[in-house]
Amino acid sequence: MAHYKMLDGNCAAVEAIKMAKVKVVSAYPITPQSTIAEKLSEICENGELEAKYIRVESEHSAMSCAIGAQLTGVRTATATASVGLALMHEVVNVASGCRVPIVMPVVNRSLASPWSLWCDHQDSMAERDSGWLQLYCENVQDVYDTMIMAYRIAEDPRVLTPAMVCLDGFFLSHSMQKVMLPEQKEVDDFIGTYKVKNLHLDPSDPIVIDNLTGSNECTEMKYQQAIGFKNAEDVMEEVFNEFSQKFGRTKAMIEGYNLEEAEALIVCIGSMAGTAKYVSDILRDQGKKVGVLKIVSFRPFPYKKLREIIGNTKKLAVIDRTTGFGGQGAPLWLEVKSALKSDVLVKNYIAGLAGRDVNIETIKNVYTDILEGNDSDDPIWIDCGENVMNIREVLLND
Amino acid sequence: MKRLKFYGLGGQGVVTAGKVLSGAVSIHENKYAITVPAYGHERRGAPVFTDIIVDEKPILVNCFVYEPDVIVVMDDTIIEKGVDISKGKHEDSVLVLNTCSQGTATEYKNTYDFKTVYHVNATQVAMDHIGRGIPNSSILGALSKTGVVSIESVENALIEFFGKKAGEKNAQSARDSYEQTKAI
Repeated sequence: MAHYKMLDGNCAAVEAIKMAKVKVVSAYPITPQSTIAEKLSEICENGELEAKYIRVESEHSAMSCAIGAQLTGVRTATATASVGLALMHEVVNVASGCRVPIVMPVVNRSLASPWSLWCDHQDSMAERDSGWLQLYCENVQDVYDTMIMAYRIAEDPRVLTPAMVCLDGFFLSHSMQKVMLPEQKEVDDFIGTYKVKNLHLDPSDPIVIDNLTGSNECTEMKYQQAIGFKNAEDVMEEVFNEFSQKFGRTKAMIEGYNLEEAEALIVCIGSMAGTAKYVSDILRDQGKKVGVLKIVSFRPFPYKKLREIIGNTKKLAVIDRTTGFGGQGAPLWLEVKSALKSDVLVKNYIAGLAGRDVNIETIKNVYTDILEGNDSDDPIWIDCGENVMNIREVLLND
Repeated sequence: MKRLKFYGLGGQGVVTAGKVLSGAVSIHENKYAITVPAYGHERRGAPVFTDIIVDEKPILVNCFVYEPDVIVVMDDTIIEKGVDISKGKHEDSVLVLNTCSQGTATEYKNTYDFKTVYHVNATQVAMDHIGRGIPNSSILGALSKTGVVSIESVENALIEFFGKKAGEKNAQSARDSYEQTKAI
């Protein structure tokens, strides 16, 4: 019987990996992902998961091993965070270019410097053009569900694209919540056994993979990846619908909350979406017509669905948990802004960097600002402290 | 919705207490709870805290607790380490205090103007039952007196968390603490 279990986000990801019956694990621990690597090692050792655990010396090797192993025709697992993902960057692109549909939890943590252990989305946003699907989670149940669905989406022959399942460091990775876990058989029926498609490693049928490829073919191969992303939208729709029917929890690439006659909407991703929904409920009670759009799939970005779902709302406050240095705005804002017509006010707010709490006050401040119709061009660092230029100021004598 | 803030010292099982409480209300009372963990530069003996939110319905909010309804203090010397346990306290906030002295409990009540303080020598109760002065299970017994969670749910969650043998000792510790807790 499906049953409730208390899990934190990392353990929920491990449960999904276990139930997907991966055969090879190669992971390198890094805060706040560490308990994923540790728990996977433990269940490989005690036989709960029949898989080989490869102890690697870095994230670069972790991904390399996963690619090689999965090409032999098995599901593999790895997971990382922050600078670990940055070190993995080179081979992250190899996985997507070789169309190896690895599903990888990324426990979102700030990128150095300054050194920080805590959550923001700088790490995964820096990989947004690396050819991976990116799905972001709101709560711990979501982590489990999204992992399970990600196998189906990534491995679909129309997609064949690896997927990052992004969960906020600490706010999800270490938050203990009640999670409904299905039976193993239900998961088996839903995701099926892994079958290698197209590129494969087989000693009895040797082929060359990832050889030096000239300009005569590279464009076409990249175009194939672009088509994979395009197809992913339909496949996600199918998988989300089937998941809702089988498991009773509704999923979508983009989820609306309190949309009725909304004057302003916060657009956000990750765990802050829950807090934004909570605050929008409070403000609705006070007569303010505000709601939330939670972006679940950042890659592919559901821009057509976004146009449909906003209806007549003319004010959007996009909260990025990353800096977007030097751009007109940060990554989420850029996507939202370019999807919409110019009669919609789309403001960018930067918040929650390096674990700064995106709390009720912060969300209220964003709603207040957007409702007032602030139309300044620059992103607003809504939770930035005072005397900002004096922080860590070092005065040198000339 | 009830918002709780646990204060204690590294090594006292503050984070574990939060996790066990979450399980007690989520699994054994058919309600919902989330822990909002604060991880930092902890070390044994340094002040730590953890936040828990409890509700009858699924919890949307996922941020730290700023206005706690229940404040749990697992070491009564923590205020000497620069921690303001009254931060965000409101008129109806209650305090659950681990202390060996009724005088200290009264002092907390008067200094911070709590309507009710639930106090027990949770460290001693833990020594009596598990042979170690780790007050995480026993403080949950005292917390049951506030009505946030039932003592039976705490006992069940402890057995689930620590396994049968260690869990039963911890459950006895919680029950004893529950019975010894005084409200002033």
